[in-house]
Amino acid sequence: MNSKKLKLFFVDNMIWVILLGVFLFFGIIKPRTFLTFQNVHFILYVSSMMGFLVFAETICLLSGNFDLSIGEIAGFSAMVTAVITVKSGLPGYLGIILVVLIGGLCGAFNGLLVGKIRLNPFLVTLGTSIMFDWLTMVVRRGSVLGLPAVYLAPGGARVFGVYLAIFILLGFAILLAFVLAKTIWGSNLYSVGGNIEATRRCGINTDKVVFSAFVVAGMLAGISGLLYTGYMGVATSNLADGTVFMAFAGAVIGGVSLTGGRGSILNALGGTLLLGIIEAGLTMMAIDPAWQGTFTGVLVLVAILLNQSRQILRDRILMGEM
Amino acid sequence: MEIPLIKMEDIHKWFDRTYALRGVNFEIYKGEVVGLIGSNGAGKSTLIKILSGVFPPSKGRIFYHDEEIEIKTPKDAIDLGIETVHQDYSLVGERNVAQNIFLGRELVRSAGFIKVLDTQKMEEVASQKVRELGLNISSPTQEVRFLSGGERQGIAIARAMLFKATLVILDEPTTALSVKGCRQVLDFISQLKKNDIACIFIDHNIGRIFPLADRFVVMSHGQIIENVLREDTSVEEIEDLLVSC
Repeated sequence: MNSKKLKLFFVDNMIWVILLGVFLFFGIIKPRTFLTFQNVHFILYVSSMMGFLVFAETICLLSGNFDLSIGEIAGFSAMVTAVITVKSGLPGYLGIILVVLIGGLCGAFNGLLVGKIRLNPFLVTLGTSIMFDWLTMVVRRGSVLGLPAVYLAPGGARVFGVYLAIFILLGFAILLAFVLAKTIWGSNLYSVGGNIEATRRCGINTDKVVFSAFVVAGMLAGISGLLYTGYMGVATSNLADGTVFMAFAGAVIGGVSLTGGRGSILNALGGTLLLGIIEAGLTMMAIDPAWQGTFTGVLVLVAILLNQSRQILRDRILMGEM
Repeated sequence: MEIPLIKMEDIHKWFDRTYALRGVNFEIYKGEVVGLIGSNGAGKSTLIKILSGVFPPSKGRIFYHDEEIEIKTPKDAIDLGIETVHQDYSLVGERNVAQNIFLGRELVRSAGFIKVLDTQKMEEVASQKVRELGLNISSPTQEVRFLSGGERQGIAIARAMLFKATLVILDEPTTALSVKGCRQVLDFISQLKKNDIACIFIDHNIGRIFPLADRFVVMSHGQIIENVLREDTSVEEIEDLLVSC
């Protein structure tokens, strides 16, 4: 690896260095509680639900769009599936398929309006986020209990002492990274996000690519809803509420460009884990929740600044100025 | 009598109440280089956008090798071997040289039961093509946004040549280019001709393109007002025509 490639590698994967630094920072402050297997295990576990929302947002951002409704899709698909599963006695494994399908259908609705009818993604997903949020209330206000153990397993069960959700998160991170890097769909997604008109003029059906990005994002949000349900053991009508901005933060901290066409799933995973580490660290330091929230907001701002400077650094390296 | 590669017959195009083309008849033959000339708003870009599938004509017929066809999308045009190098919209800046050359026609290989991108092969072919065109690009993995204007046009032309285009349309390919960049593009056009690929190019600088074109088509107010072979005209004559319309 020559020096230019090494610099690029460092800049592109800066999130992991920051993550390590923040982890060590909290580790030094709270060595007895923070630097334990249980703590790392728990951080990974609670990050898995948010991780899927970050992945969903990353897919949309890569296509040059964004989705404000992913949190509400997670909640809506989890609630609808829970009600159907309990009322009809649907087997748990079919419930797992159903929650992903409902998430995909919600995403398809967004994708139709943005990709095919070409409405503004901000306005469309703002509208659908309100719609899915209240539809969840229409379906059931409160909680749904008595879900099958198989249905709750992805979000709540352990395998060899490790939460299954962690394996699911890591498995999907690898799968999505592969799809984005090695398939025509992934290549088209980056191209559409980079320059939609040039991509269209190369004969690619860009409407279809954008539509599919929203469908995939919806499915990933559905999986997040499934994991949240397993985590809590019940489906609640406020499940995953207010998570969308943290999903944005995770993606942006991981280096996904807000203007599309640039970013990686694995670094978005890094962004998710960083958020998890900070949340756990602040909680262990017994910091007031109001200050924790404020600090999280500051962190998002820092992330945007970091992303901007990373882009400048990257360009300077590529232009041979560094 | 030779059959035209493309023949456009009585083409009209209107946008709401604005008429962009009024009954245009245009044809181009295999290996021919046509300079499409006219002032702003003459209808040149509209005509080539119809040919490249950006939008369909409002009225009129298009023939490919004497067979009537419809070009509804850019993919229809590409499938016919019509490649267009648009002034601003040809390349994705964030993607690299190889990815841009193969955009929409990526090479794949089997990996078990799925098809994956054959990145290595695409980079090899892209490298070879840019070398053949004499482009000074160090690596096929270089991001296109860091290339000069001339090099970008070269990449778009490399794409056209690689996929055995029958007609290449260049929309103001030398605009905003340095002298070196312009020379590169003009060299590319010569290479297209050598490869028997027909070429339509729009350019405002008559003097620069005059030696390259076999024929000039002059447009004004959505109509063709002159269609003349190079040997039957001169730079001054065409310039006078443009000034008078």
